[in-house]
Amino acid sequence: MSGLDYTLPSKKYKQRMTVFMVIAIAVALACIYTDFNPVVFFSEFHYVRDLFVHDMMPPNYRVLTDDPSTGMAILQTLSMAFLASLYGGVIAVIVAFLAASNTMPYEAVRDFFRFLLSFLRVIPALAVILIFVIAVGPSTFAGMLTLVIVTIGNFGKLFTEMLENVDNPPGEAIFSVGASRMQVIRYSIIPQILPTLMANLIFAFDVNIRTAISLGIFGGGGIGFKLQLAKSVLHYRDVTAIVTLIIVLVTGVEKISNYLRRKILGEDKLK
Amino acid sequence: MKPREFSFKRYRKFIIPLIVLLAVTEGAAIVCGATFDSLFGGLGRGILFLGNLYPPDWKAFSEMADPALKTIIIAFLGTVFGSVMSIFFALMAASNLANPWVRNLTRFLIAFERAIPESVILILLVAASGLGAMSGVVALSLGCIGMLGKLLADIIEGIDPLMIESIESVGGNKAQVIVFGVVPQIIPNIISYTLFRFDINIRLSVLLGAVGAGGIGYELDYSFGMLDYHRAFTAIIIIIAIVFGTERLSYYLRKKIKMEGALK
Repeated sequence: MSGLDYTLPSKKYKQRMTVFMVIAIAVALACIYTDFNPVVFFSEFHYVRDLFVHDMMPPNYRVLTDDPSTGMAILQTLSMAFLASLYGGVIAVIVAFLAASNTMPYEAVRDFFRFLLSFLRVIPALAVILIFVIAVGPSTFAGMLTLVIVTIGNFGKLFTEMLENVDNPPGEAIFSVGASRMQVIRYSIIPQILPTLMANLIFAFDVNIRTAISLGIFGGGGIGFKLQLAKSVLHYRDVTAIVTLIIVLVTGVEKISNYLRRKILGEDKLK
Repeated sequence: MKPREFSFKRYRKFIIPLIVLLAVTEGAAIVCGATFDSLFGGLGRGILFLGNLYPPDWKAFSEMADPALKTIIIAFLGTVFGSVMSIFFALMAASNLANPWVRNLTRFLIAFERAIPESVILILLVAASGLGAMSGVVALSLGCIGMLGKLLADIIEGIDPLMIESIESVGGNKAQVIVFGVVPQIIPNIISYTLFRFDINIRLSVLLGAVGAGGIGYELDYSFGMLDYHRAFTAIIIIIAIVFGTERLSYYLRKKIKMEGALK
């Protein structure tokens, strides 16, 4: 046993350093490729500061009092997210029932709906909204339809896994005393998934509010569209006011959603 | 003997929420301008329009390679810088490491950041420092703090306190406690959350591209604006390939890390 083992870098250390170096080199190459210099952000920071201090302060809250369309825009964003969570959630549940192995006996149907769900997951929201804007015109309705698609994609797979992970014994018990497949679903599977389902639908609303604001920029209507409009006509003080409204809106929805989910799932279940 | 005695009391718990839900849905539909007429008319038009997309513009694939790489790089840089920053924020937001004032202030900052969607940050940055990849990277990095900062801070608060105490008892200072006591315990979580966030960032990077960060999202938006739908279809195919690829990669790596963590 020589002391050599202690002086040489250990295998684990070498491995870690390799990973670290690979990431560092990749970051450096990526920075060179996109002309991104992190130092520039700080040396040119006065542009950001000037914008915030001179142009954006104080926030012009008269957009809210003088212009009724701002309040309407907030309402539109809220109802967009609500309708999308409701319809998207309901469709996602139906598709999940058709795609889960313990509720759908035919494998071909299952595979089809699984493929549909994974396709909806990867299809970019940007492409969907651009297509819907052409189909129904740039409106809140286009944003809502996009959100429905996005919700099905995000939550369909989750609901499918939820259905497949339910406890089997209750279902087997009632099946053994002569319940039909439908009755197994009604009296064993649905009661087990209902609380998680409700909590996830509320969570979907929370997620959809943020997405609704982003989609507004591309013609989805609502408060995101107002923000884009105020920015493109360089009314920066209106922009500040709208951004603070967005912060209040998102935080409020998040708090309510957390409270409701905690009530449904119990105190400690919330991740 | 059909159930003649319908009692309202029995179904009250069910009917009242249903009526409220229907009323809210109807109200929201009026605000949105969502009607079944416009839905079916729109769907017909949308399906007809999908025919215009086909076939993709095969020549555009080579032009799109550069923007596609740019989108991936923006997401990559945003994830790397964002996760490094969020580790610092998480350390400051954990109640077992920082004092209460610092902790609450940092938690407030994280919550504040989480309330602003990335595209709103990008709009502000574009107004300040112009269009380009830099604004996109900064917006995504800031976006990481809101999510990773909170998740990691919660994990740090839940780690085994014995390790911290034992390092403190042999005279380790705060930095040593963090490097030798905290970080080794949360490394698997950091890696798996960062990979998860990379997956999210790729999608966001496509969206932010159209707001002004450049890349494949911009190409898609531009092609739609120019009514060059075949080119747009090319962009959609590339985006689907990128998103699908990163999702698989991120899932595979996270699974691998989970297995290795379980073996230890």
